[in-house]
Amino acid sequence: MSKQAPQQGRTIRFRIKRCDGPGKPSYWQEFDIVPEKNANIISCLKQIAETPVTVQGEKTTPVVWDSGCLEEVCGACTMVINGGVRQSCTGLIDVLAPNNGDTITLEPMSKFPVVRDLWVDRQRLFHNLERVKAWVPIDNTYSLGAGPKESPDSQATHYKLSECMSCGCCLEACPQFNIEEDESKWDESFIGAHAISQARLFNNHETGKQLKDERLEELSGKGGVGDCGNAQNCVKVCPKEIPLTESIAAMGRATTIHAVKSFFSGKK
Amino acid sequence: MDNDSGFMNRHYFLLRRLHSLSGIVPIGIFLLNHLLTNASIAWGAVNSRGSQHVSAGTIESVGEITARQVGTFQHDVTFINNMPFLILIEVSLWLGIGFHAILGVYYARTGKSNTSRYAYQDNWRYSLQRLTGYIAIFYIFYHVATLRWGWTFLSPTDTPWSHEQAASTFALALKGKVSGISAGGIAVSLFYFIGVTASVYHLANGLWTAAITWGLTVSEAAQRRWGYACAGLGAGLMVLAWSSLIGFLLLDVSSAQKIEHDLHAGHGSMVETEPHAADETQPLAEAR
Ligand code: SF4
Ligand code: SF4
Ligand code: FES
Repeated sequence: MSKQAPQQGRTIRFRIKRCDGPGKPSYWQEFDIVPEKNANIISCLKQIAETPVTVQGEKTTPVVWDSGCLEEVCGACTMVINGGVRQSCTGLIDVLAPNNGDTITLEPMSKFPVVRDLWVDRQRLFHNLERVKAWVPIDNTYSLGAGPKESPDSQATHYKLSECMSCGCCLEACPQFNIEEDESKWDESFIGAHAISQARLFNNHETGKQLKDERLEELSGKGGVGDCGNAQNCVKVCPKEIPLTESIAAMGRATTIHAVKSFFSGKK
Repeated sequence: MDNDSGFMNRHYFLLRRLHSLSGIVPIGIFLLNHLLTNASIAWGAVNSRGSQHVSAGTIESVGEITARQVGTFQHDVTFINNMPFLILIEVSLWLGIGFHAILGVYYARTGKSNTSRYAYQDNWRYSLQRLTGYIAIFYIFYHVATLRWGWTFLSPTDTPWSHEQAASTFALALKGKVSGISAGGIAVSLFYFIGVTASVYHLANGLWTAAITWGLTVSEAAQRRWGYACAGLGAGLMVLAWSSLIGFLLLDVSSAQKIEHDLHAGHGSMVETEPHAADETQPLAEAR
C-alpha cells in the first residue's frame, strides 16, 4: 500500500451529537483539535474537555462519555463512530482520521436511553441477561464441592462465548432490537443476540445446565429467539467476534427440541 | 391485557413456528407446482405429444411449436381442474396464505430496517424479505381476485379467465388485447414480473432463514452450504417464473384460441362438465 504515515500536528474535527440529559433534545457541536501521538477517541475527548470551545469559538460544557478498562474488555465506552457502532477506546485516530481536516462523527448508541452526551444507560442489556439467568447456580449455605468436568471441546466453545463484554454493539446494529423506554415492556421485547448467546453458553455448561429449561422457556416466549429476523448484523459488528448467528441457530434448535419434549412429556 | 395479545403471547412459540412452516407447506410447495405448470407454456415446445389433439389444419396455420405449448399447458390445467376435492385444496391454500400474510405483517412491524447504516448483504436480505412479503400480498391478492374470483374490473380486459381456455384467456388478462399489448397490459405485465420475482425471492430466502429458525443449520459453514442450495432453488424457480411470463407475452392470442377450440371439439370429454368445477365462467368460444 502506498499509504503515507499519518502526519503529526494535523488538525482534525469532531462532530458530536450532544444531549444535556434524559428527555432533553439533542444537538450537534463541532470541535477542532490537534491530536496527540497515537491518540484514540477517548484521549481526544479528554483534550476537548480541557478546552471545551466549539469551532464557532463558543465556550461550552465538556462532552460527557463513559469508559472503564480502556482496552476493549469492559464495553462501557461503546458509541456510534462515523455511523457504525464500536468501542471508542480502541478507535485509533491515525486510522479514523489520517489526514489534516478529516472529520470524526460521534453519536451515543440509539437503542439505549441517553444519560448525557455520549453516555447511555445499558440497563436493559443486563436485564435481558437476567431474563435468561445467564449464570451458574452455585449459591448455597455450604460448600458444594468440585463441579462436574468440562470436556476440552466444550471448553473451547465456551471460551469464545464467554468473551462477551456486554458492550451492546450487537443490539445497536440489530433491526429487531429497538429502544424501549418503558421498563414494563422489556420482558416482552426482543432479548438480543448477546443474551441468546449467553443462554447457549450456560445451557452447555455442566453446572449451568440445571437452569436449562427455564432459559429455553424464556427464549421460546415473546421477545425470545423467535423474534430474531436473521439480518445477521450482530455477528458482523461484535468486537469479540462471537459466533452470534451460530448461537441463535443453536438456540433455535434447542427451543424446537424443548417444545417437542414438553409436548410429549406433558410437563406443561 | 386484551384477549388478542393474550392469545398471541400464550401461543407465541407455536404461532411463530406455524408461520415459518406455512411458508413451506402449503405455500412453497404450491408455488413450485404452480410455476412448473405455468412454465409449460414455454417448455411445452419440446413436448411432441402436446399437439396430438390439435387438428392438422390448425397446426398448419398456428405452427407446431405454438400448438405444442398451448396443448401442453391446457393439458396441465385440465389435470389440475380434474383433481378430486380441488376446492378443499384451494381453501386450505387461501387460509395458509392468509395466516402467513397476517402474522407476517405483524412480525415485520416489530423490526426497523437499518440498511443505510449497516449496508451488509445479509441486512439487505433481511429488509428485502419484508419488502417482498408486502409485494407478494398485493400481487397474490390481485392474481387470485382477477383470475380465480373473476374480478375482471381489475383486469385490463373484461374477459374472465377460463380454465378451459387457459392459455388464451390468461394471455389476454396479461396483455389487455388480442394482438399487441395495451397500456393497461404493460402495467399488468410489469406487476406480474415484479410480483412473481418478489414471491420467488421470498420463498428462497425464507427457506434459508427457516433452517436457522428451526435450528437445522447451526454452524456458519452449514448456513453457507444451505444458502447455496436455496440460491440454486431460487434461481431455478426464477427461470420457471420468467419463462412462463415470456411464454405468455409472446403467445398469439388468436392462435391459442384456435388450438383450444380444437382441443374441445375433438376431445370434449377431456374438459367437459366437471361436476366439481366451481368456476362458472363460460369458455370464450361458446359465449360468442
Ligand atoms: S441475526 Fe437476529 S439478533 Fe442478529 S442482528 Fe439480525 S435480527 Fe438481530
Ligand atoms: S455479543 Fe459481542 S457485540 Fe454483543 S454485547 Fe457481547 S461482545 Fe458486545
Ligand atoms: S473502556 Fe472498556 S471497552 Fe473501551
